[in-house]
Amino acid sequence: MLQKRAETFVYTADGLPGYRKQPSLVVIPGSREEVVAVVRLLAAQNVPWVPRGAGTGLSGGALADNAVLLGLHRLRRIIDIDAENQTATVEPGVVNALLSRATAPFGLHYAPDPSSQAACTIGGNVAENAGGPHCLKYGVTLNHVLALTVVLPDGTVTSLGSADGEVAGYDLVGTFVGSEGCFGVALDATVRLTRNPEAVRTLLADFMSIDAAAQAVSAIVATGIVPAALEMMDRATIVAVEASIYAAGYPVDAAAVLLIEVDGLAVGIEPDVATINEICLQHGARMVRVARDDAERARLWQGRKKAFGAMGRIAPHLFVQDAVVPRTKLPAVMAEIGRIAEVYGVNVCNVFHAGDGNLHPCVAYSSEEAPRVHEAMRLIMKLCVDAGGSVTGEHGIGLDKLEYMPLIFPDDTLAAMCKLRDVFDPDRRANPGKVVPMRSCREWSGLPATRQPAVTA
Amino acid sequence: MDAVRDAYATAEPLRIGGRGTWLRAGHPVQATRILDVSGLSGITEYVPGDLTLTASAGTTLAEIADATAAHGQWLSIDPFGDPHGTLGATLATASAGPVGGRVGLPRDVTVGVSYVSGTGDVIHGGGRVVKNVAGFDLVRLAVGAWGTLGVITSATVRLRARPEADQTFALALPSERDALGTLLSTIRAASVEPLAAELLSRTCAQRIGLGDRAVMLVRLAGNAIGVHHQAATLARLAVCEEVAPGTWIRLQQSDPEGGAVVRVSRRPSELSRLWLAATATPGIDAHGSLYRGVVRLRLPSSIAPLRNFDAGDRQVVETMPEEWRDRSAPPAPNDVLSRRLRDAFDPARVLNRGILGRESA
Repeated sequence: MLQKRAETFVYTADGLPGYRKQPSLVVIPGSREEVVAVVRLLAAQNVPWVPRGAGTGLSGGALADNAVLLGLHRLRRIIDIDAENQTATVEPGVVNALLSRATAPFGLHYAPDPSSQAACTIGGNVAENAGGPHCLKYGVTLNHVLALTVVLPDGTVTSLGSADGEVAGYDLVGTFVGSEGCFGVALDATVRLTRNPEAVRTLLADFMSIDAAAQAVSAIVATGIVPAALEMMDRATIVAVEASIYAAGYPVDAAAVLLIEVDGLAVGIEPDVATINEICLQHGARMVRVARDDAERARLWQGRKKAFGAMGRIAPHLFVQDAVVPRTKLPAVMAEIGRIAEVYGVNVCNVFHAGDGNLHPCVAYSSEEAPRVHEAMRLIMKLCVDAGGSVTGEHGIGLDKLEYMPLIFPDDTLAAMCKLRDVFDPDRRANPGKVVPMRSCREWSGLPATRQPAVTA
Repeated sequence: MDAVRDAYATAEPLRIGGRGTWLRAGHPVQATRILDVSGLSGITEYVPGDLTLTASAGTTLAEIADATAAHGQWLSIDPFGDPHGTLGATLATASAGPVGGRVGLPRDVTVGVSYVSGTGDVIHGGGRVVKNVAGFDLVRLAVGAWGTLGVITSATVRLRARPEADQTFALALPSERDALGTLLSTIRAASVEPLAAELLSRTCAQRIGLGDRAVMLVRLAGNAIGVHHQAATLARLAVCEEVAPGTWIRLQQSDPEGGAVVRVSRRPSELSRLWLAATATPGIDAHGSLYRGVVRLRLPSSIAPLRNFDAGDRQVVETMPEEWRDRSAPPAPNDVLSRRLRDAFDPARVLNRGILGRESA
């Protein structure tokens, strides 16, 4: 348990800059029994609380404003690996990349791979319904969770779903995944493992216009080939990466590069590589490079995965935005983002999951630029919504995107989300003030988040 | 919306109906009238380049199949049952087909769904894009809820582009325990990635014209060279022959009139035991998914074959004549969350009351 300001300071922020909130107390249980005991004590004392994994979230979701912060990162046991059925049961604090490392001897891995996978936890991935580059082929966290044991905010422990046969009734697992810590805490998760592909080919194609690159993306998807990943980086991103220690050999004069990966059986992979190569050239690629070995492949990916880190060199703050548009709207939306950046004089770098239309406009900025950056981001969000998209594809709403919720959901739908939250947490003490704007909950007049914690150290 | 509001105001229970292909499904429903949503029909938005399609709930799967085939695409749910069943019913019942174990579970392909709750509120869950984590998941809430949390009015689903090659092979299926277990684990571990792999009992195979023997159907899809090599790999593992691609449609549409359909499932490694328990009954009409561990029994005259399964094997009733049931249907899911969900979204129990099991108003 941590209470001194100096000790709790590290827990006042997550991966999103610009927000700091002071938890009243930080509790870091060491076992599942301790988690349940703490949640029950908080229920008995009617105290609001916020769960937290590794704090790598990018929406301010794990910030506790005068509430108790419940750190789950000490629960890092892999309880079971069932290689035959390709499942693993893990505690919430297990680090994403370590799960894949543990299952490697069985030729299996855990497919969702957020950029923060070296640090982020499975519990946090479940809360956020995390994605990652390889979700294009393999699906997001939702598609990989079979069963959960959860403690509800009132202290009830219950199991949802099953990895041992179909369960009749509501999809409670699907409802819990992505609930951003508002529905309780997962004490364990049984997740699907994926067979390691026999072969992997990674291609880098460079284009003289973003538009041409975006057209190539649509053409590749239309063939029926489902690439394992299909990522785009624009010139600003390429320049930032190439100037950093993560330099991957991307051509700095290109308007955009596509990083394309196909994987699967060794037989039949080369024809897919050839088809993609041809489509890129037809759409104006200057060059398509196929990584010759694992080292070159790793280098190409490192530039992509560390792009956010590379942008950190440009200015003190980095804002990583997350939005989704229909894939066919990519060229128009990218052009408009460029225009907004110019008008507001902000340096937008685009690095994103082009295959599923999931944009990540990033802005590196200094403190005095903050209002301008915020306004540009607001316009970009509105642009994506108007194109028929969503305000978040994988980072969640948290605190940061509350204001955008009414842009995509009418009042009755927001009220339904409040009802759903009340099913899991009628006292509204778990992660209060996040995900759904308070005013949407017609019946929410007395705000529970304003209650003071009654626990003393 | 008005119909549901009226029902809510007067507490008049409704049975949601589309084309009527699912009216026998689930547990007995107490309702005074049918809320007919078949008038809500038609594809409202389809941009092939986005691989997504939005349609009203009463649109049939056949209509969607026709529209998407014109662009070399398909909705990969392909459920067992009538092709004139509706999109709404397919999602509400979370009906899956042979490719369900790989790419086609309704929960995995639905990106948006609109529905009217039991209090008459209009809810728009999700959206039209394939990746979306905005807000709490009102999509997964409705998919598989059998209409008890809301009447689905429209949905957006993700499509797949048809692969260059798509071939299906029939392998002779041994009836002896060890040989069956060996074959199943060999296929699972082999250097093949089937889109579907389904075991068919002799009666089931006969019904769709595959001859007088139990088989496993294996569907290989991808580029032509890859499929060719995978087929060669299969041929080294077992005696197999190619069958017509239409075999899958015949299987999907071969449910007999009348009788019961029950799914029995466990973890996939238990499949050979489940399969032997199912086929211990002579003449049983059954098929089972290699990757999902689900055996689907089609029982024209009796549910006695269900006695061959272990108590821990999970059973889900798709349809069953009322006279075969015990006098008391099992209770609806009674855990605290399911109960509260029903209270929150249909407090008067006006939507499909009893379809998930016995419940009172």
